[in-house]
Amino acid sequence: MVKIENIKKRFSGRDVLDGADMLVRKGEAVALIGPSGSGKTTLIRAINGFVVPDSGKVIVGDKEINYKNKESLRQTRKKIGMIYQLFNLVERASALENVMAGALGRLDNGVNLISSTIGLFHKKERDNAMELLKFVGIEDKAFERVDRLSGGQKQRVAVARALMQDPELLLADEPIANLDPKTSRKILDLLLRINMEKGITMICVLHHLDTVTDNFNRVVALKNGSICFDGETHNLTHNHIHDIYEFEEENVEETRCLAA
Amino acid sequence: MSGSLIAIYARRVKVFLLWSLFIIIILLSFRVSNVDIKTLVEGFPYAVFLIGEMFPPDFSRWEKILLLSIETIAMGFWGTILGMIISFPLGFLSAKNTSGGILYYISKGLASFLRSIPEIVYALVLVISFGFGAHVGVLALSLSTIGLLSKFYAEAIESIDKNPVEAIQATGSHGLGVIRHAVLPQVFPLFMAYNLYQLDRNIRYATVLGLVGAGGLGVELFTQMRSFDYQQAAAVIIVIFAIITIIDRVSARLRKDIIDGKFMNKENKYKDSLLMLIVSVIAILSLYFMPVDFKQMAYGIPRTWEFLKGMFPPDFSGIAVYLKLMLETVAMGISGTFLAVAISIPIGMLSARNVIHAPLVYNIMKEITNFLRAMPELMLALIFVVAVGLGPFAGVLAIALSSVGFLGKFYAEAIENVDPKPIEAVEATGARFTQRILHAVFPQVIPLFNSYNLFLLDKSIREATVMGIVGAGGIGFNLVMSMRAFDYQETATLILIILSTIMLVDWLSSYLRKKVV
Repeated sequence: MVKIENIKKRFSGRDVLDGADMLVRKGEAVALIGPSGSGKTTLIRAINGFVVPDSGKVIVGDKEINYKNKESLRQTRKKIGMIYQLFNLVERASALENVMAGALGRLDNGVNLISSTIGLFHKKERDNAMELLKFVGIEDKAFERVDRLSGGQKQRVAVARALMQDPELLLADEPIANLDPKTSRKILDLLLRINMEKGITMICVLHHLDTVTDNFNRVVALKNGSICFDGETHNLTHNHIHDIYEFEEENVEETRCLAA
Repeated sequence: MSGSLIAIYARRVKVFLLWSLFIIIILLSFRVSNVDIKTLVEGFPYAVFLIGEMFPPDFSRWEKILLLSIETIAMGFWGTILGMIISFPLGFLSAKNTSGGILYYISKGLASFLRSIPEIVYALVLVISFGFGAHVGVLALSLSTIGLLSKFYAEAIESIDKNPVEAIQATGSHGLGVIRHAVLPQVFPLFMAYNLYQLDRNIRYATVLGLVGAGGLGVELFTQMRSFDYQQAAAVIIVIFAIITIIDRVSARLRKDIIDGKFMNKENKYKDSLLMLIVSVIAILSLYFMPVDFKQMAYGIPRTWEFLKGMFPPDFSGIAVYLKLMLETVAMGISGTFLAVAISIPIGMLSARNVIHAPLVYNIMKEITNFLRAMPELMLALIFVVAVGLGPFAGVLAIALSSVGFLGKFYAEAIENVDPKPIEAVEATGARFTQRILHAVFPQVIPLFNSYNLFLLDKSIREATVMGIVGAGGIGFNLVMSMRAFDYQETATLILIILSTIMLVDWLSSYLRKKVV
């Protein structure tokens, strides 16, 4: 489903990705871990083309991503759902409107393009969006403005928006880092359920090792821009973990620089 | 040790020099713009006499006033609507993140050019080619609306949250979809608020455009003042004040609701829909009271072309005189702003809820500033010309008073928003009231005050350029005269001088604003 071959990326004089390789099969759920600044987010964003790698290639489905061609990039993105740490919702729009925006990639020609642009969606899409809001468990908030929702509810809206794309692949960049433990649990369960029930491939950046070992079969660890562990979760030993997080203290400063 | 002492002295010298420069500029401005306490004192009895003459206001021509009021509101409405329609695409084209390349610079330049010319100058020019009447007022208002609104729109678009934009891009959406579903929902409430603010402003200006024959209540006011019929003039003034105050209050309420997201929500839905319906009905009905002569409009376009052709080449022979006049105009702006600052500091203090604990006092003060803000500068100038005679001093007083309306309000808001903790800390040391103000309130508000002062200086100089239209000094008088004499080459020079000065002041004040805040 996703094949990453030797990709490299430099940001402000630092190798954020330094020759990472990874293969994700259809239907798999992969947890991506690593210390701050190890390149997790950059790797994820290279898959849907928000980061253009300096070298190497990324293959999604059976096509190599062409970063230069905007139109083909858009076609690739249509099939990839993305979930963010800070939800990235349109705060002043309602939950339903946010979910329906997920259909924009599909509605990209003819009458559909015009009607979706002026904000008129087919009843079918609307029902679909309501169905998804029901699936994520907040159909009662459909007409509420997003800025009135709690963090967990916002993330549910974001998940529904990603599902609205009818994706083959779901990328989640620290989807639970901004939520309290109980809500985190629920959102994670939701994502795993989507992977199990709908068979959608998932790559999930996570911070807490416990959540990874408890819920995922496969884990990929990044350190200084390259993969330092890739295998089944139960093979992840204490030595590995020590190895992965060894330089965390030093990396903090660099992450700050990047964030600034 | 000695090094740091030198640094301290150098700093003191610098501060001393800056203050001296400041005082010299103020004194020179006073001199150039004939600010004279004696004239004011001598004019005082006239002013009292004038106010006495105005009572009781004579509403006998109420039918005429009513019709003109509707026309004024209609001008404001349609000026705003036309401007809004054009500003919408222009706003997107002049925002960095939704535009690009040469188109961005052209749109931005066009907006700032349109913004630099005062409404009444547009009216003056357009009256020549389109004839007298409200349609000219609408055109003039919409031109300056485009300049202002597209700037506001662009700023709103530039300050959006990028995260949702990326999220919608990640769904593989087409570009228009991103604008419609990620950008527009974020900026729409702000756009609505700006539109309302602009409507408010346009109706305010619509009341004076009649002074140059561009329709609305202004013409009635001007006629009555000219014929010394102060009782009837007073009636017009009262009506103008009432219209502006009502619109101001309603628009401020609505703006707050829209920004807070309360507009059109569940509990307000019926109330707000009704309000919107009433507004739309007024807007459409008002068309009936605003006879647009399409034949005149059609003739107007070639005549505008003739006028523009007549402006070239600009006639620079009188440039020395004009520059001196422009200097006088700038001096009027500076003097007016300085006087306004001096008056506004006590007024601002007295109208701040957290300084004065007597509701009676701060409410009265707030009403005074509201009153002054509601009065268009040109109308005040018209009154002051009677009180202190023709010349720049009348303009200075008009600018000063109307600026007090703005500054007093801004100051009071700044003071009301100060952090109470440092004040309590100073109070805890046993400090007196004045000491608390000086050591806990002032340090917090001075940067804000300065920013407002610069904003007002900018605005005042712009206003000063048109004071001459009613004989209150400055370059505006020559502008009107050159047009009356069909000397369009001279008009071109004057407009160029006014434009470049306004742009220069605009640039200078935004540069200084960045430094003080």
